[in-house]
Amino acid sequence: MLSTVSRQLRSHPALIPLFIFIGGGCTMSLSYLARLALRNPDVCWDRKNNPEPWNKMAPTDQYKFYTVNMDYSKLKKDRPDF
Amino acid sequence: MAHPAQMGFQDAATPVMEELLHFHDHALMIVYLISTMVFYIIVAMVTTELTNKYILDSQEIEIMWTALPAIILVLIAMPSIRVLYLMDEINDPHLTIKAMGHQWYWSYEYTDYENLTFDSYMTPTQDLTPGQFRLLETDHRMVVPTDAPIRVLVSAEDVLHSWAVPSLGVKMDAVPGRLNQTAFIASRAGVFYGQCSEICGANHSFMPIVVEAVPLEHFEIWTAMMMEDV
Repeated sequence: MLSTVSRQLRSHPALIPLFIFIGGGCTMSLSYLARLALRNPDVCWDRKNNPEPWNKMAPTDQYKFYTVNMDYSKLKKDRPDF
Repeated sequence: MAHPAQMGFQDAATPVMEELLHFHDHALMIVYLISTMVFYIIVAMVTTELTNKYILDSQEIEIMWTALPAIILVLIAMPSIRVLYLMDEINDPHLTIKAMGHQWYWSYEYTDYENLTFDSYMTPTQDLTPGQFRLLETDHRMVVPTDAPIRVLVSAEDVLHSWAVPSLGVKMDAVPGRLNQTAFIASRAGVFYGQCSEICGANHSFMPIVVEAVPLEHFEIWTAMMMEDV
């Protein structure tokens, strides 16, 4: 399969940017989905040991992918523990 | 509010809406450039008398028209993601207001300090005074202080509604049984109009939202006055 693809690539080099951009796009989408699955506090993987991770959120943790203006390390915790 | 024959957004009253305006300008300029180029190519193709019957492929142009659109899309995506995450940030609000949707009016609850609750019905057309806007005015406005982050908790008491004020760059669905959060900072004083944005029955078009941003001293006077009346 790979030898067929590389043979076709040599005669049609215009396919190389296609592979790069489509591959890059798929990589970025899948890594974001993986990040959501593993890091998002709304997701529960282990019902026995960590049943409700959304109850363990600290105010200084950053759960979002990107912050424009907020500096989460500066936030104070002013609510009681659950 | 909107002006007759208006083509673009309403004037921004919050920093987030300004960012949305600038992003829209950026994306629209890219769209104009691409459309102009495509239109030119179409006209050139249709009006030429030259022909070439023997061209089969061209690797160079294929590379170009794969790489260039991908780069353009990245240039659109980067500011878009930035504005998207900016809209989600809620930096330490000074005031929390609950906006509850009913059929067919909004009710606002300012319960941080005192228990101030009031309903906001649309002013019927026959009751408008000269200078007021038809189908947009309400009997009570949601008054907020300027330059203060305001958190709005939106929900509904019966069916789906949506609390939207275009000048503030805010739209949040009001779902019964669910509390949705949005926030804004009114950078300037003014009166900002919006309308219910989720079909909710016969008078869906007749339950507008009016937000009045005033300096803090006037806001305090207003809350004192409302507490006496209510």
